[in-house]
Amino acid sequence: MEDAQVAAMLVRRCIAGDASAWEEIVQRYHRRIYNICYRFAGSGDDAQDLTQEVFIKMYRTLQSYDVERGAFMTWVTTITRNLLVDHFRKSKQDRMTDSLDTPVSEHEDAMPLSEQIHDGAQTPDARAQSREVKETVHKALQKLSPDLREAVILRDLQDMDYKEIATVLKVPEGTVKSRINRGRAELARLLQRTYKQVM
Amino acid sequence: MAADHKNGMQCSEFDALLSEALDQRLTGEQLEHFQAHARGCPTCGPLLAEADAGLRWLHELVEVDPPVNLVDNILAATTGLDTARLHGTAAAQTQISWFERMQAWASAVASPILGVAKQPRFAMSFGMAFFSLSITMSMAGVKLGDLRHADLRPSAIKRDYYETSGRLVKYYENIRFVYELESRMREFKRATMPAEPAPQEQEREEDKDKHRRNDNTSGQPEPKQDRNYSQQGSQVILASVNHDPPVVILATHRRFS
Ligand SMILES: [Zn+2]
Repeated sequence: MEDAQVAAMLVRRCIAGDASAWEEIVQRYHRRIYNICYRFAGSGDDAQDLTQEVFIKMYRTLQSYDVERGAFMTWVTTITRNLLVDHFRKSKQDRMTDSLDTPVSEHEDAMPLSEQIHDGAQTPDARAQSREVKETVHKALQKLSPDLREAVILRDLQDMDYKEIATVLKVPEGTVKSRINRGRAELARLLQRTYKQVM
Repeated sequence: MAADHKNGMQCSEFDALLSEALDQRLTGEQLEHFQAHARGCPTCGPLLAEADAGLRWLHELVEVDPPVNLVDNILAATTGLDTARLHGTAAAQTQISWFERMQAWASAVASPILGVAKQPRFAMSFGMAFFSLSITMSMAGVKLGDLRHADLRPSAIKRDYYETSGRLVKYYENIRFVYELESRMREFKRATMPAEPAPQEQEREEDKDKHRRNDNTSGQPEPKQDRNYSQQGSQVILASVNHDPPVVILATHRRFS
């Protein structure tokens, strides 16, 4: 609740013309938005572009955010998701000519600092293996249909509850749950195939 | 779906409870029915195992760090100069010192070159080199003024590269066209024959062709889907060959234009 109050206050200050409040909003939410975009779109470049677009949209429509109507986080996630839908439709044509073997993730090399520190105990082999697993899972996630992909990203990577996800995706909670189940199962099937080929 | 009902639970009920079961939120009788159905149903049993495995795979994906300059880029794209002003003196000072450093660097690099260039015999060749470079750039459609507004996002640079090289190819093809035209003209003069259609007319015909093709591509209505992904989304396309690539004349920037 406290987080929602802070967000509401920041929005009010921002609308009143306080640019430092806007900077704080960017600082607070850019990481989350970037991660949603990265896991959905697959590449760091696209995620960077999309995150910027999300903030431009937010900046332009901040006045339309109604504090009483819902959590700021849900509003932000909805904007992000809508832009991802647009991006998906626009880039569908481009992707037809793209190679499927393009390297997906510069990020699986660059782990968060917390993990790098934690990682000190791992042998180089184990670290390479763990990086490879992450990359394989990230690639498999890109192969899920967008409906299932967004559902599992919001639930399993962003830890949103079913009700919030239903609001963002504008579908009933039952549909959200069903998509999450199918998304997880489909991912497991894809990875099972990958690892069977390797072994 | 007569076989739907197993162990006091239907498959649709099982599906509705599956995510909560994996959240460890089922208890008592509900949990017992759920587990019994999973053991007895050939569809739901494997679904539970796969969903469980998928969830564990997904938990492998930790949060990634955004690029370090992302916040600055966002602030520049949204508030732009306002932010620089708000940060006041500190930002302004770093900007000035950066500019001064660039100036110092530029003069250090340029002064020996300019020294050589000032000698009369080199001045002419420097002038010619600069002249031909600027001609090439303007023929290829690159204006120095545009460079300032160029979109410097990584994906945009890639796109601009292909568009610019496309224009260069067209430019060189045009040169070949002019040479051919010149030699033809000489032949015609010698033979005192009526000339072929003027080059401008031919070019206009080409332009019309281009416009027609552009109209065709832009004329396709975008399917209205109300923020939904198309059904084709999950189809994997292994390769595709574009038999008739559209002619791109102008660089299109998604933003900041
Ligand atoms: Zn069943």
